Amino acid sequence: MAVQTFVQTVARTLMQEMRRDDRVVVLGQDVGKRGGVFLATEGLFDAFGPDRVIDTPLSEAAIIGAAIGMAVHGLRPVAEVQFSDYVFPGFDQLVSQAAKLRYRSGGSFHAPMVVRMPAGGGVKGGHHHSQNPETHFVHTPGLQVVYPSTPRDAQGTLRTAMRGEDPVVFLEPKRLYRAVKEEVSDDPDATLPVGKGVLRREGDDVVLISYGASMAETVQAAAALAQQGIEADVIDLRWLLPWDEELVLERVARVGRVVLVSEAPRTANLVSEVAATIAEEILDMLEAPPVRVTGFDTPYPYAQDRAYLPGVNRILYAVQQVLEY
Amino acid sequence: MITDSPRFEPFSPDPHAVISESGEWIAPFDLDLDDDTLRGMYRNLVLARLIDERLVRLQRLGKTSFVAPGAGHEGAQVGIAHAIEIGRDWLYPYYRDTGLVAAIGWPLEKLFGQMLATRADPARGRQMPAHPGSRALNVFTVASPIASHVPPAVGTALSQKIAGKGDVTVCTFGDGATSEGDWHAGVNFAGAQGAPIVFACENNRYAISVDLNHQTGSGGIAAKAHAYGMPGYLVDGMDVLACYYVMREVVANAREGLGPALVEMAVYRYGPHSSADDDSRYRPAEEVAAWRLRDPIARLRRFLERRSLWGDEAEEGLRSEIAGELDEAVAAAEAAGPQDVDTLFEDVFAELPAHLERQRERYRLARRAAGEDG
Repeated sequence: MAVQTFVQTVARTLMQEMRRDDRVVVLGQDVGKRGGVFLATEGLFDAFGPDRVIDTPLSEAAIIGAAIGMAVHGLRPVAEVQFSDYVFPGFDQLVSQAAKLRYRSGGSFHAPMVVRMPAGGGVKGGHHHSQNPETHFVHTPGLQVVYPSTPRDAQGTLRTAMRGEDPVVFLEPKRLYRAVKEEVSDDPDATLPVGKGVLRREGDDVVLISYGASMAETVQAAAALAQQGIEADVIDLRWLLPWDEELVLERVARVGRVVLVSEAPRTANLVSEVAATIAEEILDMLEAPPVRVTGFDTPYPYAQDRAYLPGVNRILYAVQQVLEY
Repeated sequence: MITDSPRFEPFSPDPHAVISESGEWIAPFDLDLDDDTLRGMYRNLVLARLIDERLVRLQRLGKTSFVAPGAGHEGAQVGIAHAIEIGRDWLYPYYRDTGLVAAIGWPLEKLFGQMLATRADPARGRQMPAHPGSRALNVFTVASPIASHVPPAVGTALSQKIAGKGDVTVCTFGDGATSEGDWHAGVNFAGAQGAPIVFACENNRYAISVDLNHQTGSGGIAAKAHAYGMPGYLVDGMDVLACYYVMREVVANAREGLGPALVEMAVYRYGPHSSADDDSRYRPAEEVAAWRLRDPIARLRRFLERRSLWGDEAEEGLRSEIAGELDEAVAAAEAAGPQDVDTLFEDVFAELPAHLERQRERYRLARRAAGEDG
């Protein structure tokens, strides 16, 4: 079994899929000779050349838009947006074209494509290198959205996204790009099902739900709780659209207390939707109101880079609230 | 390689024309189209005009909610249609291209099905009228946001380039589209990659009410091609044969790997922007009347008559034949019946996800509770 970081896993999974399927092309700024500014496309240009690893103009609209037209014509494009903060010039392409193509054509056309983008804070990047834009995408019917937190999940979800038939926004937690190494599968067909979350830890006292980069702090918080004799169930959603309602409702109904963690701004955060669904479906199973620990409704700050993030202490404080309710 | 017609000069000060207003052949090369092809072009011009008139009537009868009149654009649209290989090349049209999709043979029942949003619409009634699309004919389904189809069109052209079979993409738009960021993003990328694509601007001088001088300081659209490293051609869009010949040349160039081109076709929209517009608020009636005198249908007819290929009898026969086809198509589109409410949940993804399945189920229950559903 190979032991590798998150970003190495992205590059190696792309390499494997490009070998397996010659319809796969990669396009974006600096994805070619440079191998991507984070090296997420390292080695691809040498292996596959400029027809399949395309250095594009500095234009997210061109990158995402061209990927749509390639997908429609039979290729399997994987587009890279250098930072999720820079997706907005290409936002119209995602919202008006990619997301609605299957629908507006009655299924005549569809765009099987992946748009990868590093997201999230904690890297001293200020608000234009730290944002979590997932709400925009989960609020756009027609896009699948995935935000894995571990190398193994990155491997499985990226492969699933690349082999699927729908446009997928693939968010990568850049502060975890090199934070951990993990064994990944040697099976070249290892995939993870669309819309399925995973239980990272089991416990009977409280359910912690998160995804993406915040999984790191959420898992740390669960470990700290265990030291105090409090056992937490920890759910990693992985897929944000569709998200795993079945797993969430089953675990929360069993435990009755839930804290939801996300580093995106609070208002209309995906975890607000999860909390609303819990309230709507299983209110009578709850021992306490669901509590959210999120980023703030401010632009992402620079000097207070870490303070903005839902850190371990804020998660522990929220757990205390739901336990003492 | 076309050897039987001369090359058109890019960036010419005056629009390229091959037949005069009075119908004379004025090009410095020989016409190489047979009589049936010429009559076929004429038929497509008249077809486009009669569809347009029919749609206006249907809208006034309340049978469709919206019309984007194309009268005045037929020369450009039919010229494009005859210059591509239908079913091989790809077309990325915009919302005023009803005459174009009709000219490449999109079945009229489907065309009116789309306009009336009945079950005859292959897109299942998902979009407002004037948003055609066809998988079988490689016509990318129209989307309303202006110029948003330009980067995808370039992606298809890049895919065609990678495939190396000599297929090309033609992407059409109006003058207003050239101000959008997506237009620049797409055209710039095509220039950088030498993509086999032709950008065809149906320049009718107005983006709803905003005239060309408020749209750009470039003085025209073709001139913009300079900046993207591709040839730009200005064509008299009221001369269907000029549109055809210029398009034929640039399509052939793209096929041979010579890269993209931008073609500006000077046309005029006789009607309002749409059935929701009042064009008398922003342009003088005399201007409209002057352009109507330059009508592309009348011009080709004069050309055909000079060659004894057309006359009153043929005209009458053609118009009644097309009117019959339109009657039939509208009747068939209406007879197909309305879309089922429940289909609104389909085609969001390849498979219906659980959350949509539940939304559909609860909507059914709510309808049943309200007595709306049996």
